[in-house]
Amino acid sequence: MKEVLIRSIVDGSVEGPALVSPIPISFFGGINPKTGKIIDSENPLYGQSIADKIFVFPKGKGSTVGSYIIYGLRVNGVAPLAFIANIAETIVIAGAILAEIPLVDQPEEDVLSFIKTDDYIKLNTQKRIISKKE
Amino acid sequence: MYLTKNQEMLLAGEKGNAIAKMMNLIIKIGEVNNADKLIQIKSAQIAGVSYHTVGDAIFSFFELLSSDKVMVRVPSWLNPAGMDRLRWKEMGVKTTFAEKQFEILKHYEEMGIETTLTCTPYLIGLAPSFGDHLAWSESSAVSMANSFFGARTNREGGPSSLASAITGFTANYGMHKEENRLPETFVKVKAEINTLSDFSALGYWYGEMFGDSIPFFSNLRSFSIDEAKMLSSAIAASGSVPLFHVETKTPEAKNIKITEIENKIIYTEEDKEKVYKHFNQIKDHADLVAVGCPHTSLTDLQLIDEYTQNANIKENIEVWIFTSKLISQNEKASRIIHELEEKGMKIFTDTCMVVSPAISDKFKNILTNSAKAAFYLTRDGTINVNLLSLNEILESVVQ
Repeated sequence: MKEVLIRSIVDGSVEGPALVSPIPISFFGGINPKTGKIIDSENPLYGQSIADKIFVFPKGKGSTVGSYIIYGLRVNGVAPLAFIANIAETIVIAGAILAEIPLVDQPEEDVLSFIKTDDYIKLNTQKRIISKKE
Repeated sequence: MYLTKNQEMLLAGEKGNAIAKMMNLIIKIGEVNNADKLIQIKSAQIAGVSYHTVGDAIFSFFELLSSDKVMVRVPSWLNPAGMDRLRWKEMGVKTTFAEKQFEILKHYEEMGIETTLTCTPYLIGLAPSFGDHLAWSESSAVSMANSFFGARTNREGGPSSLASAITGFTANYGMHKEENRLPETFVKVKAEINTLSDFSALGYWYGEMFGDSIPFFSNLRSFSIDEAKMLSSAIAASGSVPLFHVETKTPEAKNIKITEIENKIIYTEEDKEKVYKHFNQIKDHADLVAVGCPHTSLTDLQLIDEYTQNANIKENIEVWIFTSKLISQNEKASRIIHELEEKGMKIFTDTCMVVSPAISDKFKNILTNSAKAAFYLTRDGTINVNLLSLNEILESVVQ
């Protein structure tokens, strides 16, 4: 079991499989709020859904409408279990708060270096750690 | 973060779940940015209006707010919509789009937000005062508020400006703090700056070169509100610059010690030409002139009238000019607008070339005097633009 310290922005204790985007995510134009699928053709995860996954990405980018897209994911029942980012910026923070999706950032190590897609990840925002089953 | 009793009460949900969520949103953004407290704002300017940019995602959010019958607590205004509320059919906007657009406006109105539908509230009697704390989200208006008026606002997003409108607060960080408002780059402007598009090109160049660092421009001979508007909009589009200073012109410039600015650069004639060259893309003939990014003022309209004295617009091109409803209703402006329409131009209100779907549906080659418009119009690669001065544009399209 590998454990990494993080900062908690929206609390929640969840666990599940990771889906890791190697590039920054624009929720507006990048994710379909009805299906949860990644629709940015430049993203290697194109076509995959973030629903019920621990969605991991380096940082957010793009239009602030992205916050409404994240809220739409919740309303449409296709929200991810949690967000883990290297840097959470305003778009993701606002979206995660509206949608009540746990959000953590600033891990001790680059998320892309220690989490791979399908790794089983556990979030414990009380203890401010995320852990990975080895 | 320090919260007052009243703020804690709002956060605890005593005024409803929606307001509690909005408080939480502002506090969390504040915490992430190391804010020490929340501060009262004087006004909010809210983006996320055009159905073309917000899509259907916004409706589920409106449902959350309307379930608690949320109202704004400070004067709040909207950015441009995707169409002219009266003349949308003439623009070529589809009925399905118009219905959704009206629904969005209705939701905002129900919260007590004024449907000014402009990116230039400061041109319609809503200019901020020096030192006012605001939550504005239109990037060009943010840059104007901070730079030209000496007010204080971060570059808010649609959701955060709306949260501030509803709660009356924003977090105390970034542009709200004196120490973050000092320039980081000294720019000696050596190129000739004469036209509105020259101001726009200067802003575009700086934003692209230096991203979000605050500049101090020296050697600008004039700096009218319309010139400032062009510089502000371009610098906030190619970069994310929330504030700039202009020697002897902007309110905070006089307190700045130039010798303490580390980075010093020169804006040359070649730098200027490079911007014009970058936006010199039209191979065949232009099909649209688009002016009014940011929205035209009365002075801009007078200038357009002057440049087209005793002339009419050629048959093979359309001229669309964008302004706010309130400007268009000014007595003098409405007389000028009538004349311009007689000459063959179209003056639309409530919208602009950046947020309306009508532009990319209909036009391929666009002449504009705004580097911000040029930047956004060309982003997805289907439209070509030429960036020119207003005079050059109008000379080329009249007969």
